[in-house]
Amino acid sequence: ILTAPLPQERGGNNSFTHEALTLKYKLDNQFELVFVVGFQKILTLTYVDKLIDDVHKEFRDKYRNEFQQKGALGLLNGTFDFKDDFMRLLRDAEESSRVRAPTVMKTFEQSLKSQKTVKCMIETRGEKPKEKVKNKKNKGSKKDGTEAVAAPSKTSAGDKQLSAAGDKEELTKDEILQKNREEFFRRHMKAGEKSRSPKPDAQKEKGKKPRVWDLGNSNAKVLDYSNSATNGSAEACPVEEFDPDMALGDKNREPGRLYDLEYESDDEAEEEKVVQNPSKPSVKKGGLGGMFGMLKGLVGSKSLTREDMDPVLEKMKDHLIAKNVAAEIAVQLCESVAKKLEGKVMGTFTTVTSTVKQALQEALVQILQPQRRVDVLRDVMDAQRHRRPYVITFCGVNGVGKSTNLAKISFWLIENGFSVLIAACDTFRAGAVEQLRTHTRRLNALHPPESHGGRTMVQLYEKGYGKDAAGIAMEAISYARNQGFDVVLVDTAGRMQDNAPLMTALAKLIAVNAPDLVLFVGEALVGNEAVDQLVKFNKALADHSMAQTPRLIDGIVLTKFDTIDDKVGAAISMTYITSKPIVFVGTGQTYCDLRSLNAKAVVAALMKA
Amino acid sequence: VLWRFVQGRKSSRKAVLLLGLCDAGKTLLFARLLSGRYRDTQTSITDSSAVYRPSQDKSTNVTLIDLPGHESLRLQFLERFKAAARAIVFVVDSVAFQREVKDVAEFLYQVLVDSTVLRNAPALLIACNKQDVTMAKSAKLIQQQLEKELNTLRVTRSAAPTSLDGSATGGPAQLGKKGKDFDFSQLPMKVEFVECSARGSKGEEGEADLEGLEKWLVKVA
Repeated sequence: ILTAPLPQERGGNNSFTHEALTLKYKLDNQFELVFVVGFQKILTLTYVDKLIDDVHKEFRDKYRNEFQQKGALGLLNGTFDFKDDFMRLLRDAEESSRVRAPTVMKTFEQSLKSQKTVKCMIETRGEKPKEKVKNKKNKGSKKDGTEAVAAPSKTSAGDKQLSAAGDKEELTKDEILQKNREEFFRRHMKAGEKSRSPKPDAQKEKGKKPRVWDLGNSNAKVLDYSNSATNGSAEACPVEEFDPDMALGDKNREPGRLYDLEYESDDEAEEEKVVQNPSKPSVKKGGLGGMFGMLKGLVGSKSLTREDMDPVLEKMKDHLIAKNVAAEIAVQLCESVAKKLEGKVMGTFTTVTSTVKQALQEALVQILQPQRRVDVLRDVMDAQRHRRPYVITFCGVNGVGKSTNLAKISFWLIENGFSVLIAACDTFRAGAVEQLRTHTRRLNALHPPESHGGRTMVQLYEKGYGKDAAGIAMEAISYARNQGFDVVLVDTAGRMQDNAPLMTALAKLIAVNAPDLVLFVGEALVGNEAVDQLVKFNKALADHSMAQTPRLIDGIVLTKFDTIDDKVGAAISMTYITSKPIVFVGTGQTYCDLRSLNAKAVVAALMKA
Repeated sequence: VLWRFVQGRKSSRKAVLLLGLCDAGKTLLFARLLSGRYRDTQTSITDSSAVYRPSQDKSTNVTLIDLPGHESLRLQFLERFKAAARAIVFVVDSVAFQREVKDVAEFLYQVLVDSTVLRNAPALLIACNKQDVTMAKSAKLIQQQLEKELNTLRVTRSAAPTSLDGSATGGPAQLGKKGKDFDFSQLPMKVEFVECSARGSKGEEGEADLEGLEKWLVKVA
């Protein structure tokens, strides 16, 4: 778990499946701890989230002193005798989930009923009943929250390291019984959010006519959950004055805490206007608390909460999308950065914006850094030593620049003294073979055999049009082995990722010939399509390969980089999806336009305003 | 005032960095040096630092910084701490060395051509860890293999396509002398090889075999 999701900035989603286990983890950024709970994948345990939250809290409180004073030495020398506490917490969590199951039904109904009665009053009263409803829900969830706190606090204990063994034993008992109960439990936990959705439905039934005006004011808050920014940005300031511990956990809890202040200002606002802007009362309250909050933020240590970061992250996400990063990737990235920064104590005189920007920048650089070595020449030398040719295959959709970049790469290889055989496996597109023949002739003119010890540096292997690409590739490789060529570059036809027969053909070519390097050629102009292309290509390669560990895409060639000035987001999308490095960057149509990726420069261009 | 300023700048490089690939044994080495006890460690995802007082010489002290070896993290942390490095301990897994020689050499190459490192020329110690296992390679063998590999890397790296904004990937820095084969003595910094074992020959409870390492640390401090 440590090597895969966290370093690769996929920490947005907090669960991870590995073989037969599901691992849920939680980061404590203040003390730099990771809490992991492992359990069998087939079980769905809903108390796990609470378990991990409470373990986290108890562990932190118990050993807070050690961390703060001794730092790394404290970690090393301290003995963390949490096993008993952990077992106690685990047992309590299981019991509580069992006990709570029958009562779940009642509270759910209660909240539904109360909502229904309040709803009919909503049109007349405006903001007030909404607050009441919210309060009721919060009270309901708070009750559960306190129960849960006592229970799961044990389980957090021993989880600095994976303790899957202990968990597994406990979990094998009465799984079936628990499963049903947990369904209800989970539904109740989500009741806070989901119960809001039946609300607008019921409201629509009641008053269809007045709905047209009401839609603007009172329901905006209910219907629009994604817009937590307006709520959050104002609430952020007062929240700091409270214990930062309360900042984690449900969002439901926070409006509950602040309810007193909000309610009063709502009254004042109500009297003035009919059409209520939900953000207005909060802005008013924000004015007062805002001053203190800002000052506190500048001086002294403030720990980051989700609400602080949300507006900044929204802006960053939009910025990234504007720079041509695929939308899903941008969202996941921001999520992962948020998770990493939550609860972290900021230094003095640093604003939230700068911290988030810094973290995002680091995350981006990390994504672009290659996971494995990207040294093609080194591998070619190795293959040379073993007297076998090094095979590189180029694949991609139509028109991205495979043949052009193939020629550029062969030029580069020849400059470094390796002889190249180009295999024309594009037997479909008209003129593909002629194109490669022209390139071969030009390259030979640039590097005549006389200057390389009498051997032709580049040669074309082709069998015309309409033949089977995989067969041609195989023949080309054996020809290269016989003739002593160092590198074989296999050019394939462009194909759409949705075209199943063509994808099968490509997968067959790669599976049969087992190339040393499979390069996916993608153009930098592509936007959200990049995600789809890469996913489908990888999937096709994995599905049609017979081997246990299928050959997937090993690297990416990013082409047409000169056509985008600073909208370099495609690089991020592609590396994020595959976690494979960008091996070459194509910046033009002449032979010298081949570059390697400079992660810092790309990230700088990406973050530039 | 100026004298203080100069002194301040000098003493700001008080750190000894522990670098190496994943599973080389850096975190265990760190724990052993500081506490003397054996701890079960996991892959590090962040740095840890602490002040180390060598047992022989109580007056001096250095800050030991243990950096993660994971490929996507190592460069980021190196960037952060390289300016403060007075010495670098590069930990090598002597057992898996044959398999990993290319990765080890690549990381070492990246560290050595870094402009800050070249300018400050911190002392470099290559610690060949895991000597308690019978299959471990000796320090001499590791040195020879690394020299050969770095020799090849010099050529391939400088021949790589230039970077996007024009700066060459290999850097203008050439490791060692051009005409001759690469040798560790050609570097501007002092390089030493030492064998050690963080786990210790008697298993987990026994003492770690860190004498050479500790002596070098005393020299550096």
